Amino acid sequence: MRHGKFPLIITFLVPPLLLYGIFVLSPYVQAFQISTTDWGGYTADANYVGFDNFTRLFRDDYVWNAIQNNAILLAVVPLVTIAFGLFFATMLNMGGRGGKAGVSGVRGTAAYRLVYFFPQVLSVVIIAVVWREVYHPNNGLLNGLLKPLGINGPTWLGDPKYAFWCVLAVMVWSNVGFYVVLFGAAMQAIPRDIYEAVLLDGASRFVTLVRITIPLLWDTVQVAWIYLAIAALDGFILVQLMTDGGPNHSSDVIGLRMYNTAFGTDTRFGYASAIGVVMFFLTLSVAVLALRASKRDRIEYS
Amino acid sequence: MGGNDDTGADNANQGDKSEQNPFGVKEDAPLEVVIFNGGYGEDYAKAHEAMYNEKWPKAKITHSATQEISKTLQPRFVDGSPPDVVNNSGAGQIDQGGLVSQGALTDLTPLLDAPSLDVPGKKVRDTLLPGVVDVGSYDGKFYVLNISYTTYGIWYSSKLFADKGWTYPKTWDEHIALCRTIKAAGTAPWTYAGKHPRYMSWPVIATAIKFGGLDVAKNIDNLEPNAWKSDAMKTAADAWHQIVKDGFILAGTPGLDHVQSQTAWCQGKAAFISCGSWLENEQKAVTPAGFNMVVAPTPSLGASDKLPFEAIRGTASEPFIVPAKAKNAPGGLEYFRTMLSMKGAKDFTGKVSALSVVAGSADGANLGPGLSSVVKALEASGSNGFNWVYQNYYRKLERELVDAACGEFFSGRIGPAEFLDQCQKGADSIAKDTSIKKYKRA
Amino acid sequence: MTVTTERPAAATPVSQERKLRREWGIANVFSHGFLVLWALLTTFPLLWVLISSFKNDTEILSDPWGLPSALRFENWARAWTEAHIGRYFLNSAVVVAGSLTLTMLFGAAAAYVFARYEFRFRQVFYYLFVGGMMFPVFLALVPLFFVVRNAGLLNTWPGLMIVYAGYSLPFTVFFLTAFFRTLPESVAEAALLDGCGHFRLFFRVMLPMARPGLISIGIFNFLSHWNQFILPQVLMQGDESKQVLAQGLATLAVSQGYEGDYSGLFAGLTIAMLPVLAVYILFQRQIQSGLTAGQLK
Repeated sequence: MRHGKFPLIITFLVPPLLLYGIFVLSPYVQAFQISTTDWGGYTADANYVGFDNFTRLFRDDYVWNAIQNNAILLAVVPLVTIAFGLFFATMLNMGGRGGKAGVSGVRGTAAYRLVYFFPQVLSVVIIAVVWREVYHPNNGLLNGLLKPLGINGPTWLGDPKYAFWCVLAVMVWSNVGFYVVLFGAAMQAIPRDIYEAVLLDGASRFVTLVRITIPLLWDTVQVAWIYLAIAALDGFILVQLMTDGGPNHSSDVIGLRMYNTAFGTDTRFGYASAIGVVMFFLTLSVAVLALRASKRDRIEYS
Repeated sequence: MGGNDDTGADNANQGDKSEQNPFGVKEDAPLEVVIFNGGYGEDYAKAHEAMYNEKWPKAKITHSATQEISKTLQPRFVDGSPPDVVNNSGAGQIDQGGLVSQGALTDLTPLLDAPSLDVPGKKVRDTLLPGVVDVGSYDGKFYVLNISYTTYGIWYSSKLFADKGWTYPKTWDEHIALCRTIKAAGTAPWTYAGKHPRYMSWPVIATAIKFGGLDVAKNIDNLEPNAWKSDAMKTAADAWHQIVKDGFILAGTPGLDHVQSQTAWCQGKAAFISCGSWLENEQKAVTPAGFNMVVAPTPSLGASDKLPFEAIRGTASEPFIVPAKAKNAPGGLEYFRTMLSMKGAKDFTGKVSALSVVAGSADGANLGPGLSSVVKALEASGSNGFNWVYQNYYRKLERELVDAACGEFFSGRIGPAEFLDQCQKGADSIAKDTSIKKYKRA
Repeated sequence: MTVTTERPAAATPVSQERKLRREWGIANVFSHGFLVLWALLTTFPLLWVLISSFKNDTEILSDPWGLPSALRFENWARAWTEAHIGRYFLNSAVVVAGSLTLTMLFGAAAAYVFARYEFRFRQVFYYLFVGGMMFPVFLALVPLFFVVRNAGLLNTWPGLMIVYAGYSLPFTVFFLTAFFRTLPESVAEAALLDGCGHFRLFFRVMLPMARPGLISIGIFNFLSHWNQFILPQVLMQGDESKQVLAQGLATLAVSQGYEGDYSGLFAGLTIAMLPVLAVYILFQRQIQSGLTAGQLK
């Protein structure tokens, strides 16, 4: 409540707000409008149809099937990715030479940190191409590894039992690297002496992770969670490139449904926008729920 | 949303019509052409543009090529400032049924009635191979010009067959017997694009049409009730079920995409594959020397078939459109006439090794074994050729719904009855959906 | 009966420590196994792309896991010259430099205000920003096209920079707000008591303290801007000489159902990948030093 606060607030807030309002919000608002029309996307004509698109959507089995898959992604991808991210970050930052000589990373930490980041520099197109070859039923690496074990591997992406999970695994794979770096950065900020004290008390590594690291990283974990949740709800590009939603819609996701309705097998932009609006509210509620559920007292260690 | 300048530009770029200038091209009107930069590349189009400039030297041509036709051009359609010529092709193609239903396209009928540029005494219409007009027509109006002639059939390596002493089967029983022989020889008889199983809907429907006549296709195109469950379709599906039941399909096929399955086929891991005549070009890089791929019609089910064995599916592909709001629509039509001239067509065939829709344009051309076999197959098929167009009217039906059903059927998870049920359910869902415009095939 | 057969584990400090060390030892074998496994999993695709960039099309398609029979640098040359990867590369660098600066500047400013100041409608503005994360971009493409055109920014680099920045702001603001909140209150209060102005406080005290967070989000934004595809495809279609790398790669990429230049594609991708990797390696040191600096406070 000191003098001179408002000049800063105004200078700092107004330019970003203007840019954001003009180039992001206003197109979005128009997209909301489009969802109440029958706009076909290639002429300027659009008729207002009220909530028709939304009632159609609630009776569209394919949309529900896709939403169900997104729900699974939403439950699994953030959890597994964050677990892997925390595990690797812990190893890299304090996995070295056991309890005694203080806290350090494993040997070769820098190399690991570099290598784990590799998926981030690959474009999605390449990730899809590589993994399609890994999952190749006859020449693929995966079945190549299974064969010596006497297992005749399934057709992976060609089998509705596995296709969805194969894509999910790739999603986790491509995300973990970034969160290792992110959590690693946050862990570095935790004072060493906290760990040294706990480890001297004889706490196991797991206990240390759960009792000390995660609570101290909670803000970061929360950010990671929300971001991954959003990625899980969207993330259709990988699905499109790897399975195109198949076989028999078994790996379909809501983003792909929307994409196909607008750009793929249909040009119904009104309907696609309605799916987008539903997706918006779904994501919003997930984010709000996640924030609510994870509200904890912030731990300060200054 | 954007502009409302509907009445547009056409006045500004409308010149006087004459014998030499049937569409009334204004000689200095600029022309914008957008080409899909796919397997055919863009060089053939540059050649056509140069030909256009020969006749209209004052016209400035803007050429661009993209792989994302729909995303690139959609805002311009809405804005009312689309290009004059669009090669609407590729994975990012704009759904044609959608464009037609929104009135976004120029009716190309005047093109058909105009005189050919260099085939004396013939209208453009009379220079085209059969089915070209049909496949680009929606409710009797010609909106889409496809410039490449495509055959769909079953492909095999004539070298492999000669080496092993196999002959391509003309009847279904021979086909099954040969499959047994092939399998016994340690090769898989069949493979297909497992991730795009609709490739296998083509031989099934073709078998049904040859068995039951052209109405089988027409009923499917027109979304008639139970069109997918006609006797012909049932008989065809039952027959094809045999290759699944008897394990004639290369193990792992459902997990392969089109490139992977075609590559396996080129390596001799499977004997047959279902594809269109773009196959030879697509496989250029991996086809072994002397492989000698050839196309053949689907085997006949029996003596009672309505169409002879030689009947094959021929249709036109590689679509071109002139948007309704094109600034220089007469120029667009004139550009099409240039593509369809004998000179333009021969140049096209030479540059992209594909057949043009202009009759006789392949004469004397130096074609690969695959394309030569296509020409022969088309000659043999003659007036018995057939086609279906539901995938042009309702892209979603083939690309998503029938595709999914084929995947289930050919991986053996469902039987023939359930397969047809699932296709029919998909067709019904399109038929019931009031937001999708319906077309009738003449 | 309490003191009968005691296990020797009623341990001296020494044996307890040994046990602890053994436990860590076993865990280490497993953990290290995992570390190595994951390292292999993340390395091989990159190597695969690199190796494929030297193969010819036949080798790529018929023997995807094999080694090239020769080092075909002509693939690289072809990608660089014929596909103009070099030019697109520079264009991307210019656009990303601008958009990243803008994103970080605006993002940090807005986030700082949200994290550290109380004012009316703060929550409303904040959620307005953050809500932008939850809507798929491609549904807004058409309206966006017209907004950009009316601003006179269509087919221009500044247009791309502004739009990239706009669509990165939600996550940037969200992330940095959380980060600024974790910074200790006391430092700021002390500085203000010393008579430090609000602007000075931000640039001299808070921004340096937030460096680790700025770097993390900076890398994240760099990657997403560098790989941005849909936005330039729609907003930069007219002038080929101004297009960015992702567009150039797409031209090389294989479209479904069409014969493409696979080896050229892999070479182009390798060329595109290397700078991203380089930037990361460079920034990895920055992260370390930034964090050490943060700890000194």
